Formats: sequence, structure tokens, C-alpha cells
Amino acid sequence: MILCSNCKHANMAGAIFCAECGAQLIGKDTLTTQTIRTDHFNRASSSKPATDTYQSFDGSDAWGSLHLLDTGQVLPLSARNEFTLGRVSEGQPIMPDIDLSAYQAYAAGVSRLHAVIKREGGRMVFMDLGSANGTFINGKRLSPNVEQSLKHGDILALGKLKIQILVKNE
Amino acid sequence: MSAKKPDYYAVLGVFRDASPEDIKHAYFEAAQKLHPDKNVAAGETELFLEVQQAYEVLSNPKRRNLYDATLPPDIESNSVVKHEVFFSRPNLVRLNEEQLLYVLLEISPREESEKLPTPPLNICLVLDRSTSMQGDKMDMVKATAIQLLRGLRAEDVLSVVAFSDRAEVIIPASIETDRRKQEGRIQMIQPSGATEIFNGLKAGMQEIRRTLNPSRINHIILLTDGQTYGDEQDCLNLAEEAAAQNIGITGMGIGHEWNDIFLDALASKTGGSSAYISKPKDIQRFLVDKFNALASTYADDVILDFKPQEHVKVNYAFRLQPEGGNVQVETPMRLGPILRDMPLHVLIEFVVSPEALVDDVFILLEGSLKLSIAARSTPIPPIRIKLDREVRVNPSAEPPPTRILSALSRLTLYRMQDRARSAADDGQYDTAVRHLHNLATHLLSQGEHSLAKTALFEADNLERMHSWSASGNKDIKYSTRALLLSGVKEKGK
Repeated sequence: MILCSNCKHANMAGAIFCAECGAQLIGKDTLTTQTIRTDHFNRASSSKPATDTYQSFDGSDAWGSLHLLDTGQVLPLSARNEFTLGRVSEGQPIMPDIDLSAYQAYAAGVSRLHAVIKREGGRMVFMDLGSANGTFINGKRLSPNVEQSLKHGDILALGKLKIQILVKNE
Repeated sequence: MSAKKPDYYAVLGVFRDASPEDIKHAYFEAAQKLHPDKNVAAGETELFLEVQQAYEVLSNPKRRNLYDATLPPDIESNSVVKHEVFFSRPNLVRLNEEQLLYVLLEISPREESEKLPTPPLNICLVLDRSTSMQGDKMDMVKATAIQLLRGLRAEDVLSVVAFSDRAEVIIPASIETDRRKQEGRIQMIQPSGATEIFNGLKAGMQEIRRTLNPSRINHIILLTDGQTYGDEQDCLNLAEEAAAQNIGITGMGIGHEWNDIFLDALASKTGGSSAYISKPKDIQRFLVDKFNALASTYADDVILDFKPQEHVKVNYAFRLQPEGGNVQVETPMRLGPILRDMPLHVLIEFVVSPEALVDDVFILLEGSLKLSIAARSTPIPPIRIKLDREVRVNPSAEPPPTRILSALSRLTLYRMQDRARSAADDGQYDTAVRHLHNLATHLLSQGEHSLAKTALFEADNLERMHSWSASGNKDIKYSTRALLLSGVKEKGK
């Protein structure tokens, strides 16, 4: 069986073109799969107004950034001192400041209102808001509703969504 | 092969190592077709006598041995055509699931064939004269028929039948003719009545049988603009009779009211195909092209005869050239004609079951290619064909041959429109729309912008109104089919 990388249709072994979408299955570079995915995320993120706002800053006045490890995106944190993280889901009135749904947040197990990240003086503070799948810092699970300080390079995991913290040196 | 003595094996259409049963079977088959009580074409009685003579020799072991000793040692290389086989993969893989294998068969005339004379034609034009043909269509058909008549050589025969709910022989098939008078008779055709294809086809068959001869190119061209109702099965049975007598059928549909699936089925029974004439002004071009193709026929119908094997089936077969069209999956398969300047290319999709892969080599197909060449009076010995692949544990990393890849990339488009069509017929409009969107994407990437636009337009129609536009599905079908041929031509340049 050959799974089409374009439409996920299961084709019979030996097929050369996908019976469903017509994409060529063999005889071309398989690495293209990776390229298409990144491309898809870039496009998806630019269409989201929430992240658009952040990208419109050039990052010079940002106090820190979230580096999404799966996709390589960097979201600068600026203009305010506190951001809630989560994902927008249809029909729910919950609006996190940073919507991660464009980064496969649902599949990674990010809660709608998952956590909050704050700047307190020169410190960066993080708190899990009672998420279903929890938050991990460098592999250690956080207790919900307890503040935890972050330093540059820490790896956060919201469910399975991995984010590296980049703190701007002042 | 000496010219004086007929090759008995070729006469019966069997191999030199044929078993006595094979010979007996071949004899009965030929005798049934050629018996003087039944045969219709001139020269068939002589053929029958030859068959009988061949059987008398070959059925007797002693005489067969003596005869064999007189034969030149290598008969296969004497063959008048050459064939090449390409596989999509160098080997089969030992798997617990079904797998696909594509085979491209290319059959072309050998060099010396250039010297053969053009065989005389025996063509019958079967023309729809129903009320809907009134106007441009009828005028154009008449003008073209007259033009064709004037272009004939003395040895060619052209008969004309016009039909509506009944058929009328306008020009009977005959060698001695007064062409001026015939032109007048064509001018007199007046449109009226409904379309009943069976009547026309039957009369056409009768005419073509009058001058039926294996040394001619015998062909019916059916031209219609409407649907026939209720007599489809009769027509198909008639087409089978035609195929058995080596009479080809081409279906041409004018405008968008006719049933392309039916005409395709009808023509493919004889190894022919259907054509779509969207505008009356194109009638002339299509008919003249068809005539030229018939006049340049080398072998009129190549037949792939084989015994179906266990654990493998032919899933799909398509003639890429000379005329793109479906090849009916049956035994034997009628592959289509070989033209002097264009070889026959057929792509076959095999599905192999896991049960097949017990031994180290699996035979997909074993049989023979049979053909007759009108310009040659002696029968052509069948060409043995055996498609087999080694069975291995690991798949090969070798990419498929370019010719298979490029043929399949275009055939994939044709099959996508086919799927969209059948999904829409089943009422699954969203599936059909999805297929059309996918098709449009591929068309765009291949630079076929206007066809992509048509596909998107039809997708939109299906989505909103759950129906195709009047000509939409035919436009897409025949344009994607034409792409197959254009791909071949580009490659040739």
C-alpha cells in the first residue's frame, strides 16, 4: 500500500499516480513532503489575524519570543506584559491572546485556555491554567495554577506542542 | 516462408509447437467462420480450402513431421511486425496485499512494410438523417461525403446509408459505379424522423458485406447527433458480428445530445473508438482525417489472445495511439489498428494477488498477438507473447521507464474525468466536484489553462445545479483524451 502524501488516499502497491488526486507517488524526491508542510503552516499562520498582529512588529521592542520547534516559527511577545496561550475553537467564547490552532494545537492536545506567560520586572513567569494535558518545562510537569519562572532556552511543552522560550537580553 | 507454399501454421493461426488439440480447435473455429454455406466475402471459399488442406497435414503426425522438416528454422524473425514491452517495475514484490503492475505494449510495422501497396478501401458511411440534423450539420455531412467520393481511387468502394427510424441505402456498395449519379443521390438526402441507430448499422453491415474482402480495409463510420433508445444491445451484438468478420466501426457524435458511452462501447467492440465533433464546421476535418487514417492502415485490428491466469487480472486497458480509446477488457482483447506511420501503443494495468507470488517468477499473461494485414495475401503467423516478472522480497529502487511515466501522467487525467463522471452519475456530486478540482489543478500545472477552466466551470455547475452543462462532460472527456495523443507527438519531435 502506498499512502499519497497529498491526499492520504491509500493506493495499491505498485501505483505510480494517486487514484484519488492524481499526484505522482513514486519516481520523485520524497523530501518534498517536508517542504510542503512548512509551507502550509506559514500560509496558515499569516491568515490568522491574532498572529498577524505579532508579526507586524519587527520584534525590536519584544521582551521575549516563543519559538515553535515543530515548525520553526517565532512569535515575538511585545506591546503588553501578559499573554494567555490556547486555541480558538468554534462556538466557544474563549479567546486566548495567542491562538496556537494554526500550529496543530488541537492535535497536540493544547487546551482552549492552556497557560499564561507574563513579564514581571526582568523575569519571565509561566503558569499552567489547569489544562487537560498539562504543561512541561524541560520535561518536568508543572502543577496547575502555580507560577514558575522561565529562563532563556527553556523548552515548554503544551500537551505535545513544543515551544522554546527566547528571552531578550536587556 | 516461400511464396508458393502456404504456411499451414499461419493459415490456422497456431504456433509451430501447437498441440493436436490446439490445431483441432483452431480448425473448427476457422471452419465455422469460413464454411461455404456461411461465408459472405469473395475469396473466403479459397481460404476455407486452404484451412482444410492445412488441417489435413497438421492433424496427421506423420505428415506434420514431414511438413515441419521443409520449414525454414526460424519463423518468429520472419514476422512482419515487431513488438516491444515495457514494465513499470523490474520485479514483483512479495507482499500480503494486491499490487499493481503497468505494461506498455508497442507494436509497429517492420521496415520493409513501406513498400507494400495501400490496400483498397471498403467503407460504409452510416449517416444520421433525423430531424435534428437539419441545417449546417446535414449540409456539411453531404458536402464532405461528396468530397470523399471524389477522392476515391478506382479500386475503393464507398457505400452510403442514411437512417432515421428506418434506413435507406443511398449508395450501394459496388465496384462499378457512376460517381456523378452518386453525388446526386447524396444531395437528395432530406432530414426527417427520429434516431434509431440499429437500423442504420444493420443496413451498413449489409452493404459492407457485399464487397467484404480480407484484402480490403473494411470499415463502418457511423455519424450521429442523437441518442438511440432501446436498441443499444442489438447494436452491440451487431458490432460483435462485425468484429468477427474484421469489420471496424468508428462512431462520430456531432454536438452534445448523443451518447458517448454507448458509441465508445460500440466502437471498442471492434478495436475502434469514438470521436466528438463539437461544431458542424469540424465534420469535414474529422471525416477526412478518419479516411486518411484508414487509407494508411497497416494492420486493421491487432488481437491479443490469452488464457486468463489465476491470481492476476487485467484491471484496465487503454489504447494511447493511434486513436486514444478504451480497450475492452475481455478475452481476446481487441487492441486496435497499426498505422503505417503510427505504431499501436496500449497500456495495460494488472492487479496481482498475493497468492500469485509463490514461485520466483510469475507469468502475468501468456498468449499471442494475432493480426491480419490487408496488403498481404498470406496469413500472418501469430506472435507469441509472454509477460512475466521475477518475484523478489524487496521493491526495486529503479524509477518506472519514462515512457510509462509520461503516458500514465496523462492517462491519470483522463481517468480522473472518468471518475468524476461516474460519481456524478451515482449522485455523489461532492466527490465528482473534488475530482474535477483535482483535475483542474493538474491541468493548470501542465499548462492546459482553458481546459482547466472548463473543468472548474463544470465543477461549479455540479456543485450548484447537480448537473453538467450541455457539452461539459464531452468537452472534458475528449480533450483529456486528445492530450494523450499530443503527449506522444511531442515526444516524437
